[in-house]
Order: sequence, then structure tokens, then C-alpha cells
Amino acid sequence: MRFSTEQKDSYTEVSGTGRLNMVAAPKLREVVGEVVSAGNKRIVLNMLATEFIDSSGLGALIGCLKMARQAGGDLRIACVQPQVKMVLELTSMNRVLTPHATAEGAFSND
Amino acid sequence: MTEVLAERAYQAPATPEAIDELHTELDRIWEVASFVPELDQMAFTTAVIESASNIVQHGVAVAGGELRLGVTLTVMASVLQARISEIGAVPSPELPSASLPDDDQESGRGLALIEALMTTITVELRGETKTWVLSREIETPA
Repeated sequence: MRFSTEQKDSYTEVSGTGRLNMVAAPKLREVVGEVVSAGNKRIVLNMLATEFIDSSGLGALIGCLKMARQAGGDLRIACVQPQVKMVLELTSMNRVLTPHATAEGAFSND
Repeated sequence: MTEVLAERAYQAPATPEAIDELHTELDRIWEVASFVPELDQMAFTTAVIESASNIVQHGVAVAGGELRLGVTLTVMASVLQARISEIGAVPSPELPSASLPDDDQESGRGLALIEALMTTITVELRGETKTWVLSREIETPA
């Protein structure tokens, strides 16, 4: 899986391309950890090109959410694909990580 | 209805890299069995990867041996079946919890997810090989 980071006006966008499985999960934690360490607390994970997630990937998402919140910020997810949506719903994690339709809209109501 | 329409087998040392290779095997079987509805493909792939990841993460090799992951994927007209074996492992008859953990927990959702996605799950123990047999009935049979 490949990750890229882009600084936007009011948030940092992290995009992941590929499968968010046990191989990619530690990389996501590392990427988001660096973003938070650099002082960026509002993070949007753009999942447009994340074709797959499993419970390891879900664990990494929760870990990243905790990192952002402990720093006084938040992590939100956007553009989730059908398989990711299915896993979020079956594990009820959509209550904690509510998918947003667009990355731009993830923090727009704050 | 039990005629095998597509089948693939995969075996490798139980390492994280094997999970990506197994995923590619799953993608290949759907190229052959494209009649299987997308929802069933998605559910089956998720459960198989989840189960194989569990072996890679928690399986313990017998002393001096190598832990291997063996998977057979079978597509029939109305059923998808996977046999996922932990080969050369220290026998452990216990199964992980199937209930969902608290929202802030970062692990422990694997088996609950497999249960939600599969019609039947059985576990066979034979010496140093534990095999998970996962089946999903296809919602609209071909």
C-alpha cells in the first residue's frame, strides 16, 4: 500500500492506495504518527483508492484516531469504497469513524 | 449444485507477505468466477484474508519447524468454500472471541467479522494442522 500526505488549508489529507491489511496497517500508523508529531491535529484519511480493509487495518484506523484525539485534534475518513463500508458497518465502527462523502467536507461543519 | 467451477490452492510460509499473495490469488479466482455477485466476492475475500491473517499473527510453529499457511479456494454454483490451514503449529484448540470488543480497542474484531460474513465455519484439528473451513452460500445462485 502507498500513502501520500498533502497539507490543505484547514486539515492534513492522508491518502492510501491499495489494501489496508496487516502489512499496511503499521505503515498507516507511522504516516499518521509523523503528521501528528509535526503538529497537524486535523487529519482526513482519503480512502478513495483504498480497495480493502480487514480487522488489522481497522485497528490501525482506531489507533490513528486515538493519536489525533490525544493531540487535541481528530481524524476523519472520506470517500470509502463498498468493501470498507461493509467492514465498518459489520463491526459497528461506522459509529466512531463516520464516513464523509468528500475529504473537503469532513471538517466543514466544525 | 456441488460441481466445482473454479479452484485455486496456495501454500507458503505464514508471513505477512503471504497475505498479499493470497489476496492476489483471490483476485484471480474472481476473474474466472465472475458470475459470483460482487457482494459475495467481497464478503468471501474479507473472511479468507481475516482468517489467514489470524494464522500469521497468532500461529506458533512447533519447535525447530516452520509455520505454513495453506489455502484452498473452491467456487461452486451456490457455495463458496475456503479451507485455511495452519500447518506445523503448536496445537491450540482454543478459538478467539467472536464478540465485538469496546470501540476504542484496536484488535479482537476478526472472528466477529468472519462470523458475520460466512454461512458456516468449522474448525478441524489433525495433529499439527488446524484447518478453518469457511462457507458462504451465494445469495443469488448462478
